[in-house]
Amino acid sequence: MSGLWTVSSAAAVGVPWLERAIAPATEFGRRYNAQHAPYRPGDESLALAAIVRIQAVAQRISADTLDALHAKISRTPDPAEAVARARADEPLNDAELFDLTGFLDIVAEVRALGEAIVMPEIELPPLPVELREVLATGRTAAGTFYLDDRFDPALAAARADAAGARAAYDVLRSRLLERIGRYANVERVHDGGFILMREQMHGPLPPEVRVVREAATYLLCEVALDEAALEALRACEDADRRVVEIEERLRIGLGGAVRAAQRELEGGIAALGALDAFLARVRFAQRYETVVPEIVDVPEIAFVEGRYLPLAAALSEHDRTYLPISLALQGIGVITGPNMGGKTAALRTCGFLGACLSFGLPVPAQSARLALFDEIAWLGSEAARHDESLLSSFGSEVVALREFFERGARAPLVLIDEFARTTTPHEARALLIGLLESLRERNACALAATHLGAIAGALDAAHYAIVGLQKLQPLDEHRALRLDEALTRISAAMDYRIRRVDGETVPQADAMALAAALGLDAELLARARRHL
Amino acid sequence: MEVGAALLEGAQSAGCRAIAVVGTAKNVGKSVTVGAICAALARTSVPFAVVSTGRDGESVDSLRGTPKPPLFLRPGALFVTARSLLPAGPAVEILAQTRERSAVGAIVLARARAAGCYEIAGPPSVAGMRRVLDLVRTWGEPFVVLDGALDRLAVLSEGDEAIVVATGAASGRTVELIARDVQSLVRRLQLPLFDVQRPSYEVSGALTLAQARALALAGERRQIVVHDATRVAFGGATFGELAAQLDLRCRHVLRPIAVTTASVGPERFFEPRALLCAVARATRLPAYDVFAQACA
Repeated sequence: MSGLWTVSSAAAVGVPWLERAIAPATEFGRRYNAQHAPYRPGDESLALAAIVRIQAVAQRISADTLDALHAKISRTPDPAEAVARARADEPLNDAELFDLTGFLDIVAEVRALGEAIVMPEIELPPLPVELREVLATGRTAAGTFYLDDRFDPALAAARADAAGARAAYDVLRSRLLERIGRYANVERVHDGGFILMREQMHGPLPPEVRVVREAATYLLCEVALDEAALEALRACEDADRRVVEIEERLRIGLGGAVRAAQRELEGGIAALGALDAFLARVRFAQRYETVVPEIVDVPEIAFVEGRYLPLAAALSEHDRTYLPISLALQGIGVITGPNMGGKTAALRTCGFLGACLSFGLPVPAQSARLALFDEIAWLGSEAARHDESLLSSFGSEVVALREFFERGARAPLVLIDEFARTTTPHEARALLIGLLESLRERNACALAATHLGAIAGALDAAHYAIVGLQKLQPLDEHRALRLDEALTRISAAMDYRIRRVDGETVPQADAMALAAALGLDAELLARARRHL
Repeated sequence: MEVGAALLEGAQSAGCRAIAVVGTAKNVGKSVTVGAICAALARTSVPFAVVSTGRDGESVDSLRGTPKPPLFLRPGALFVTARSLLPAGPAVEILAQTRERSAVGAIVLARARAAGCYEIAGPPSVAGMRRVLDLVRTWGEPFVVLDGALDRLAVLSEGDEAIVVATGAASGRTVELIARDVQSLVRRLQLPLFDVQRPSYEVSGALTLAQARALALAGERRQIVVHDATRVAFGGATFGELAAQLDLRCRHVLRPIAVTTASVGPERFFEPRALLCAVARATRLPAYDVFAQACA
C-alpha cells in the first residue's frame, strides 16, 4: 500500500496495525492484496461497492462459519509453484502433487461451505473437477499423497518385481553376513563396513570378507558379494530403475493433466486469494462493529463515535476504557485542548478512518461521511527525522513539510500535530497559519492540533476544542504517587469530547493541574503559578 | 549382541519413546549409529520416524567432503526432510507439509514406501524442531530417532528421550583425549536434578563461562540451577574444572544411556577395543562399537 502515505505517516495513523488486522491467512491472499492498490479519489463507487459487500456479509454470516472458512483457507497449500512448473513442462515432484491435491480438496470444501450459506456476495473459487478426480487416486483417507499403484497397472507390477528382487537380494546378503558372523563368532556383523579383531579370526578369511585396512590387532573390512548376490543386486537395481521410470512417466502424465487445468487452477488460486482477503475484511468488520460510510467527493471527514482502534486495543490490554469521539471537518480546521486530552488521538482517528476507506473497509464509527484522499500525511511532532545528526526537531518537520508539497498531492488529508512547537510561539503561529492557508488553496482536508492561540480566527477556519479537565480528585498527600493511579485519576477527570467552538477562545492546556496530578513538586508549581 | 538392538533396548527399558544421537565431533559415527538403530527398529516392526536437526543421509559430508553412510530405510519408516531432498524415485508418501524451513528448503513429513536410501533434514531452530516433533507424534506416536546436534539438545528437555553420545577417532588426537572429552560431555548431560529443600541460584537462559567463573570466584555454595543441561554453555576441561567448584543442577534431567565409538576416522584410527574400554571407563556408561559389534 505504498504511495498513499509515507512510512512515518502510516505509523502515526495506525496503518501497520490495520494491515495486521486485515492480513490474509495465505500467501495467495497476500499476493491478492499486493496486486490491488488502495482506493483513491475517483474510485468512490468502486470503494463503496466493496464496502457494502463486506458489511453485508459481516452482518449475515455467523462468526462460527467465518472461523470455519478462515481455518480451511489458512491451511491451504500454495500450488502456484507446481502450476508454474507444469506450465513450463517440468516434471512435478511428489510434494507438489501433494500440494495440488490438498489445494483442490480445500477448494471443494470451501465451495461446499460457501454454497451452504448462500451469499451471492461471496465469490467462490472454481474447482477443476477432472484434475481433482485424476489426482484423487493418489489421495489417501488420511489426506496424504502417494503415486499409488492404481495410477497404472504397470507400476503395481514393477513395484511387486522390485520388492521381490529386493527380498531375494536381502536373503543372499544376510546369508553372507551370517557366514561372516559365524566366522567371527558374533551374532551379526555391521552391514556396511565392519571391524574384525584378529582374536576373532579362526583360520583364513572367508571369501565374502574384503579387507579395507589392516592393523596390528584388527582388520577393517566390508562385505564382498559373491556371484549370486551380485546377480541379485543387479536384478534389484534393474527392478528399482523400472519403477523409477514408470513413476517418472506417471509424474509427466500428471503434469500434463495439471497443465490442461492450468487456467482453472490459476483462476482458483486467484479466487481463493481474493476470498481470503475478503474474509479477513469481513472479520474486521464483524469484530469492530463498523458501518458503511457515506463517501463524498469534497474534502471532508466527519464521524460520530469514531474509534481509533489501535489505541482502543492498547487501552483494553490495560483494562482501561476507550472513549469514541465525534468530529465534523470540512476543509481546514484547528483543534485545541489540554495536554493529555486527546488532540493527537483525534488526528489519528481521522487518519485511521481515512486509511480504512482507502483499504475499502467499513469504518469503526456509529456513522461517518468522508472523502477518499490521494495522500494521508502526518506533519509535525512525529514526522520523519531525516538525519538525526544534522537536523533539529524543527528542521525535520520543515523537511517533511517541504517533501509533502513536492509530492504534489491533489486531494490530501493532512494531520498536523503541534507543528513548529520547538520554535518561538509567534513564528510558529505564523508558520502554521501560512501552512493552513496553503492547504486550503490546494483543496486539502486538514486538521491542526495546537496550543497556539488565535489560529482558527486568523483563517476563519473551524475551531474544535477538547472539553478538557473537569474536577480532579485531590491527591492523597500521604500516599506515594503511582503513575498508573495518576493516569486513572486524570482519565476519570478528563472529558475527551470534542465540541465546535464559535469564535476564538484561548486554548486551555490545564498544564498546571496535570503536572500536579502527575506528582510535580508543589513548591515548584506554586512558583510557576506566580508567573501566569 | 547387535548394537542397534542393544541401544533400542536400553532406551525402551528406560521408558523412553525416542533416542537422540549426538556426536562429539564430525565423522564420529553418528549417522552409523542412527542407521543401526533404524535397522533394529525395522526388524522389530515398531513404527518409527527419523528426524534430523541438520541434514543427514547425503552421500558426502557437505562440510568436509568426506564419504558418509547413506540412511537406508525400509517401507513404513517416517522421515522428515526438505522438499528439495525428496528422491526422484522411489516415490514416497507425503504425509504433511510443515511451516518450517531448513537451509535446503521447506520441510515435509514423508513415509518410505520402498526400501532405499534417503536424505533427511530438519529445521534449524529448537522451536521449529519441537513443532516438527509434535507433528510427527500425531502420526501414530512413532518411536523417534533424532539425529541431533549438541546445541539443539534443548529440544529434548521434555524428558522422554534417551541420549546416545557418538564419539570417535575424529574427536581427538589420542584415546585419552577422546575419553576425557566425552566424559566431560556425558557429565554435563547427566547434570542432577536440583534439590528443592536447599538454597539455589536460578540461572535464566544459558549459564555462560563468564557467569560460572564469576560464581566460582565468589565462592558460591548454593545450587546453580539451569533449566536443563543444554543451558550450560561451556564444555570440555573447563566444564570439569567448574563443575568441581560449583554445585551445578537442573530442573529437567536428560538421560544419556550409552556411548558409541568409531575407532576409524578420516585422519587417524585407534585400536577399537582400547578406545571402547577407555570411553566406557571414563563415562561409566555402556559403550558400543557399531563396526566391531562390541560392547564394554
